[in-house]
Amino acid sequence: MWNQYSIGMAVVLASGVIAFAALAFERDDLHRLLLIDLVEIPSLGVVALLGTDLAEALVLPGLVVGIAELLALSHIYLLKEDLRDRPEGYLHIEVVEIGHAPVIIAVLLVVYGLILSGFTGGGIAGLGIVFFFMAKGHHENFSLLEAAAGISWGIWVCSFFVFMFLPQYWMLAVLGAGAGILLRHCPVLHPLHGRALPAGPRLHRARHREPG
Amino acid sequence: MLAIVSRAENQVEIVFGTDAYYGKEISVDEMRFRRFMSIACGLACMGAMVTGDLFDFTLFVSLVGICNVGIVAAVKTKHVQNAAFQYGIVALTATVPLFGGAAITAATTGTLSMIALGTALAGPVPFIAQAALVLGVMGEGMAPFYAAKAEMFRAPGAPYVIMCSFSSLLIFLRVVEVVLTI
Repeated sequence: MWNQYSIGMAVVLASGVIAFAALAFERDDLHRLLLIDLVEIPSLGVVALLGTDLAEALVLPGLVVGIAELLALSHIYLLKEDLRDRPEGYLHIEVVEIGHAPVIIAVLLVVYGLILSGFTGGGIAGLGIVFFFMAKGHHENFSLLEAAAGISWGIWVCSFFVFMFLPQYWMLAVLGAGAGILLRHCPVLHPLHGRALPAGPRLHRARHREPG
Repeated sequence: MLAIVSRAENQVEIVFGTDAYYGKEISVDEMRFRRFMSIACGLACMGAMVTGDLFDFTLFVSLVGICNVGIVAAVKTKHVQNAAFQYGIVALTATVPLFGGAAITAATTGTLSMIALGTALAGPVPFIAQAALVLGVMGEGMAPFYAAKAEMFRAPGAPYVIMCSFSSLLIFLRVVEVVLTI
């Protein structure tokens, strides 16, 4: 009766009940938005309990739909509360901004992600790149990151189709996929990003301070 | 198509206790966004109607839920945005029973194909999975209750609000069919 699936299901249902109870008690909209994310996890857990490769194929679309809804909801929340992007709100890590630490950590993450490969590896490598740009504090770099990610994604998809339709050219597809992944990491090595870093946090609050 | 070619009435609000009234202007961008959301909603709805896979059905239903919330949220009024946010929360929580129902079905019968589930070979689908599916679809189709049916062409978001109602009606019908089939 109580095999692994049942135990897992009981745990997931219990966590779901806890998350729903928290959602019912919470009155603040922002906290509810955060709790929604917590509620999403049991739903993915139920799917993951299947424990087959089908589960992986089902978790991904479930996750995507969940994230899409969460994004839509957070956008509605921003509109609703009339919140705007504040210029002083950007992430500012002074320790890593001066030296080469972001580059080293990003390269480590990217190399580790390459070794891991697959979805997990891609996630870790992407995290490394995102960390690098966040530590730099350059907003415009994200467009370059997006472009590189788009091109590498295109190459990867083309390689995928080569695998599917022209399996005899598998070596070409492997090289293409590898080139795609490499291109994804190219912005890290780009000379443009080695330039002088912006000085300290801008003091927007000081400007708005009333005299006397 | 009807929603696209029709010209929406502008909303007029009367200030209580006086003769004054003011009309509400809706920008073209806002209308365009709602139209896009309606079309997306229609496509998702079509997918939910024709799919033969239980998990795809749940995905399409949750897409319908997002689009419904999007149509409502396109109205730039504070209380409508509040309502859209609450509907969004309901729609998001409804994904739990929705995916849960599909996953339990897959775990007990080993298949997600509605045709296979319709035959006796796959074995009975547990009642809890069917109940979870219905509950999830109910949660996703919540948005239309935002406007009374009689006010469908005057409510904020008109005339595209009717797409919410229409799509939820369709997915309600479809989930009944699915639950009766499996």
